[in-house]
Amino acid sequence: MTDLQKSPLHDRHVALGAKMADFGGWDMPIQYAGVLQEHTAVREAVGVFDVSHLGKGVVRGASSGYTAVDFVNDRLTNDLRRIGPGQAQYTLCCDDATGGVVDDLIQYVRSEDEVFLIPNAANSSQVVSRLAADAPAGIEVEDLHTSLAVLAVQGPQSAKVVEQLGLPTSHDYMSFTNASWQDKPVIVCRTGYTGELGFELLPRWDDAGELWDAVLALGVTPCGLGARDTLRTEMGYPLHGQDLSLDITPVQARAGWAVGWKKERFWGRDALVAEKERGPRRLLWGLEALDRGIPRAHMTVLRDGAAIGEVTSGTFSPTRKVGIGLALLDPSVSEGDELVVDVRGRTTQVRVVKPPFVPSHVR
Amino acid sequence: MYPDDVKYTAEHEWVRASGTGDDAVLRIGITSYAQEALGDIVFVTLPAVGTEVEAGQSLGEVESTKSVSDVYAPLSGTVTARNEELDGAPELVNTDPYGDGWMIEIRPSAGIDAAMSSSTLLDASAYAVLTGGAES
Repeated sequence: MTDLQKSPLHDRHVALGAKMADFGGWDMPIQYAGVLQEHTAVREAVGVFDVSHLGKGVVRGASSGYTAVDFVNDRLTNDLRRIGPGQAQYTLCCDDATGGVVDDLIQYVRSEDEVFLIPNAANSSQVVSRLAADAPAGIEVEDLHTSLAVLAVQGPQSAKVVEQLGLPTSHDYMSFTNASWQDKPVIVCRTGYTGELGFELLPRWDDAGELWDAVLALGVTPCGLGARDTLRTEMGYPLHGQDLSLDITPVQARAGWAVGWKKERFWGRDALVAEKERGPRRLLWGLEALDRGIPRAHMTVLRDGAAIGEVTSGTFSPTRKVGIGLALLDPSVSEGDELVVDVRGRTTQVRVVKPPFVPSHVR
Repeated sequence: MYPDDVKYTAEHEWVRASGTGDDAVLRIGITSYAQEALGDIVFVTLPAVGTEVEAGQSLGEVESTKSVSDVYAPLSGTVTARNEELDGAPELVNTDPYGDGWMIEIRPSAGIDAAMSSSTLLDASAYAVLTGGAES
């Protein structure tokens, strides 16, 4: 086994008795007290996640009037011209030839000459190297993976906690602001992966421990990546490597809302426009179990005994108390259809639904 | 440590004999090590009373938020009771794996004494070695 990388909070997780596991090459907490308790804390009160394993990168500079924003906008899918400095946006890095998804990420416009990126842990170096390889003179791409930590404070009471830390909370969803905590810089983002009101706090890597301690001292429940997965699945948010991948395009995954179709250029544009015009061969849907079965990734979905797709993510919904999942299904499937999932040789009835499975409270 | 009043399988079930003569049955559940590894248990599927089970066969499933695991029959026999409480409160397997979180009772076809002295069952210290003595 190769050595796993460690978050700056690693010792604290171990001391809290967390169960640790490999996430994209990082030894991260799956759970502390238990997934259900942590999930409920986020839905009903407030929890904090260490997601310092997430990648970080920055694109800076300009080249004869061609700015960092222009450069990123010509490569990643979403339309960066829809947002301005201080705002963030969900976007995709697609393979130029196939339109498959290299990674999904959040892009933060700091200024016309500086775009900050948070890709997934396992894909960060891919995103950074693809951008760096394509950068003209004057545009610099820097990997900041271990320069900044990320603490996600999520839940209906998250604003109160962030306020108690003396940090700003009044900015809009999908925006961010520079602040300081005990004279240390912290970027405060109104973002998250849970469907609840939430903030992602980005302190410097070495300042993360003290900030984490201060958050826990306010009574916030430490939450692991197990609860993060059940929370995001309830929202129908895709996870790269399962619901999005190099083999799954944004057209198939219904992530077309994160594609600036009117832009003249972005990686994968030709392949994706062509796929959109001819219609995708499969589409991502939500599945809701009608009995006690739980769909899990890679299980086969059947209609009248014939395979018509595959589950890409599945879990028990702690909020709804039923099995839920996401699945790539044949385009002939419609909302409300009742299908069958092969659960280890037995069948579970499921209904095709449009996620989210629980209402969003991000705003 | 693991309780001494039950025997263990390498697949992380426990077995406890109760009753005598014709009423003698084996109560079966999963160990504290198993429930800890599974995490929060959300569904338990168990066979109906009267089902014939064969040693080594899957007799049910335990689903947690993150995964599903089989529960294997430690010995051959007939199911005489299933823990109906688990239908509504599967978390009992987490909170009290050797008590209220029991799963089924079987009447072993080999008889209770032969069943409990089966070489496939481990005592608490052997099970602790098997699990690396890592019970928390």
